[in-house]
Amino acid sequence: MNALGAFFLNPLNLAFLGLIPIVVLLYILKLRRTEVVIPSTMLWMKSLQDLTANAPFQRLRKNLLLFLQILILALLALALARPFITAEGTTGANLCVVIDRSASMQTVEGDETRLAQAKERARMLIDSLESGDRMMIVSYASTADVHCELTDDQGRLRTALDSIEAADTRSNIRDVMLIVRSLAPDNPDIAAVVPDLEVFLLSDGKLSDGDSLGEINVPVNFMRVGETRENAGITGFALREPQGVEGPRQAFIGVHNERENALETTVTLYYEDDALAVEELTVDAESVSNLVFALPDLDTGMLRAEIDGEDVLAMDNRAWLALRPPERIRTLIVSDSDAGSAYFLRRALALDARVELSAITPDDYADTGNHDLTIFVGWTPEVLPAGTLLFINAVPPMEGLVAGDPIENPPVMAPDRDHPIMRFLSPGNIGIAQAIQVTLPEGARSLLSSRETPLIADISTGLQRVLLLSFDIADTNWPVQLSFPLFVQNLLAWTPLPGSAAQASIMAGKPIELPAVPEGGEATVTHPDGTTSIVKLDPSRPVQFAATEHTGPYLVTVGERETAYAVNLLDKNETSIIPAETLEFGKAELAAITGAMQFDRELWPWLVLAGLAILMIEWWIYSYRAHG
Amino acid sequence: MPSSATETSLLDPTFLRKLERLAIAAKQVQLGATKGERKSRRKGISTEFADYRDYVQGDDLRHVDWNIYGRLESLYLKLYQEHEDMTLHVLLDASQSMEFGSPSKFLFARQLAAAIGYIGLAGYDRVALDTVSGTAPRGPRPMRGKGNAARMFSWLDSLQAGGGTALADGCRSHAMRNRGKGVILLISDFMDESGHENAIRQLLATRCEVYCLQVLAPEELDPSLAGDLKLVDSETQAFAEITVSRALMKRYRQNRDAFVEQVRDYCVGRGIGHFLVSSSTPIEEVTLNILRRGGVVR
Repeated sequence: MNALGAFFLNPLNLAFLGLIPIVVLLYILKLRRTEVVIPSTMLWMKSLQDLTANAPFQRLRKNLLLFLQILILALLALALARPFITAEGTTGANLCVVIDRSASMQTVEGDETRLAQAKERARMLIDSLESGDRMMIVSYASTADVHCELTDDQGRLRTALDSIEAADTRSNIRDVMLIVRSLAPDNPDIAAVVPDLEVFLLSDGKLSDGDSLGEINVPVNFMRVGETRENAGITGFALREPQGVEGPRQAFIGVHNERENALETTVTLYYEDDALAVEELTVDAESVSNLVFALPDLDTGMLRAEIDGEDVLAMDNRAWLALRPPERIRTLIVSDSDAGSAYFLRRALALDARVELSAITPDDYADTGNHDLTIFVGWTPEVLPAGTLLFINAVPPMEGLVAGDPIENPPVMAPDRDHPIMRFLSPGNIGIAQAIQVTLPEGARSLLSSRETPLIADISTGLQRVLLLSFDIADTNWPVQLSFPLFVQNLLAWTPLPGSAAQASIMAGKPIELPAVPEGGEATVTHPDGTTSIVKLDPSRPVQFAATEHTGPYLVTVGERETAYAVNLLDKNETSIIPAETLEFGKAELAAITGAMQFDRELWPWLVLAGLAILMIEWWIYSYRAHG
Repeated sequence: MPSSATETSLLDPTFLRKLERLAIAAKQVQLGATKGERKSRRKGISTEFADYRDYVQGDDLRHVDWNIYGRLESLYLKLYQEHEDMTLHVLLDASQSMEFGSPSKFLFARQLAAAIGYIGLAGYDRVALDTVSGTAPRGPRPMRGKGNAARMFSWLDSLQAGGGTALADGCRSHAMRNRGKGVILLISDFMDESGHENAIRQLLATRCEVYCLQVLAPEELDPSLAGDLKLVDSETQAFAEITVSRALMKRYRQNRDAFVEQVRDYCVGRGIGHFLVSSSTPIEEVTLNILRRGGVVR
């Protein structure tokens, strides 16, 4: 019976085969033929003899109906025993196919990529759908996308499957878990709609996030694609600024070797398209080697590192780095040479290495337009310069801004802590000897105020950032308090630095932040493959450009100004392409299914169908004989 | 106007009147005598003048016409029509196999016998009815004249089919008992295991004109059987187990045709008239058309 269990779900029902002798018995009983008296059997006898002589299988033909009946019974008994075969496909009625399209899925094995293999497996799943079965298709890289919601339309499923393209990003399965969890039967809104959901995760199992979302109450099959580990790739590429010493900037390159044996390769560093340096590198098996190149005096441009030799995953053999000039905040203090405020400011500003400080007296002041931050102490020009402005104890000539009489010892009231300038500040214990009574224009924001007058106010006009201090710092005890250098730091952070704040390298899939441009307008983003996108810029806040699924240099053009961005994978998880044996999904640890997805396909419907067909044949033979 | 005595359940009176206009055609009687119709016998008259012919030596001088000799001085012999006593033999197969079919072959045979017999009686022929098979009683003494119609009908009415077929024995027995020359009409299905040839030979030996009327039931001509059957022979109780199939039915029809053909060939080869009729054929059709065209009646 155990042996039968390998073929039948219910082998006990084979006992129904015991009914066959009963059929034979019934047949024999039934063959007590109807007696018909006829005048003479003379002619019939002769006919019978003729027929018997002509048909050697007459005996067999006579019993054909019996054979068919036995066959029908045998088929029905077999059907009751519920035989099954192990077939490719699934038994699920509602399938959720999740396809990994992250960078490691671009690994070429055989003639096709892992992604192509995964899509082929998914196509087989679509083919194995039976009527009434539904499927949905989800892909994920750094984020998850639903390509096709649950449907039984195989054409739509195939189209959706074809639309999945590889991305150069890391894989982030958290979104997938969220989708799957929302479809789990313990979600009362879904259970009625999607009972028996079964998830098929087609991936090589390389995940960049191990985030657990707790129990996920859905059966998940981890169908692993991929075999090889013959890959090496650049997993680190960064710029190192000299810290506190003079010297050249350095490019740091990390190469990961996933192979089982050491890798000997050359690493070439390009500036734009010219080779800057070439260096031999040996990387031990399953380890990382680093390389440091000293850079010549380069200001801006695109660095590219390449390791030699093609391997199964080509996209991680190159990395880019956008070179930018060191960040500078050009600051000008306009004050009388003996002003105390200027002294305190200079000391606080000197703490920040980025500050390029210059000072000038009001008499010598001329608008050069070269400063990011201009601080006017006790004096204001007739025409305001560009850049961020700070007025100390001076009221600039702005519409709606009216200066009144000085106020003695104004008490400090609650600050507006939401403003970036006031971050981390607790200026409640500042003692101010004297302040100018100011009436703020409409739209200005008082950040720290006294009863009669604002003490610190954001009087930015449109696109220019302007801050007003209505008192002289030297007339207060503020410079000796902790909140003063914090205020200066906040001020520097508040000062927008066009074009220089961009990161040198952006992770693929993460957005490029396009800084706010006062004049607004559009930016043209040129992708690594040469295509362009137009992005509408916001005058007051940065815009995120998220279409960075592919690695390489991106060029952002705003008006005349061009800024290059380097988008890289630089992920050891994706470069180490060895397929995972298990995959953590929620709390479950899924073992990899490497072969074809198999299930026990029950055969009883076919047996019953065959039985019915034979029944019809039997009926036809009977009626043919009877009436033919 | 038929009397009440001639009424029978076998034939209806209107049909009987039609039959009275018919007569049995006896070719043999005319062969030895003059051309023309066969005369009926009258009481007290045994011969009738027919023709003259030249005297040849050895002729009976009593038949010389002396009046002619007186006038012409040559000898002529006077020929007289010898009026044969024509006997109509109607032989019925009364075996069990005849009691079959709808309508039954035996009813059909009795009706036909009644019709032919009535024609004979009406034509003042000697009518000898008999059964040649089965357990039914032998026929009555030969009868003559319409006055005997009632007797004939009642005998036919009382007949019951039963027993096996033994045509040859019945025919020989009848021939021994009835020597009268004339016409023999044998009504049978000829389903005789021992063969029909012997019986027909017995009848030929009587030097009568023989007609064979083969009656088959519609069920025999075109059987409508289905399924697994055990066919039991009504006479011998022998059985044949058959599973009806298209091939079997085809083969049966071939054998049926061959059997009828065999009987017909045997008959025609010996100058015997053969008719195949289905028991569902109306008696009027048989007597007024089939037998008339076949030269049995006129």
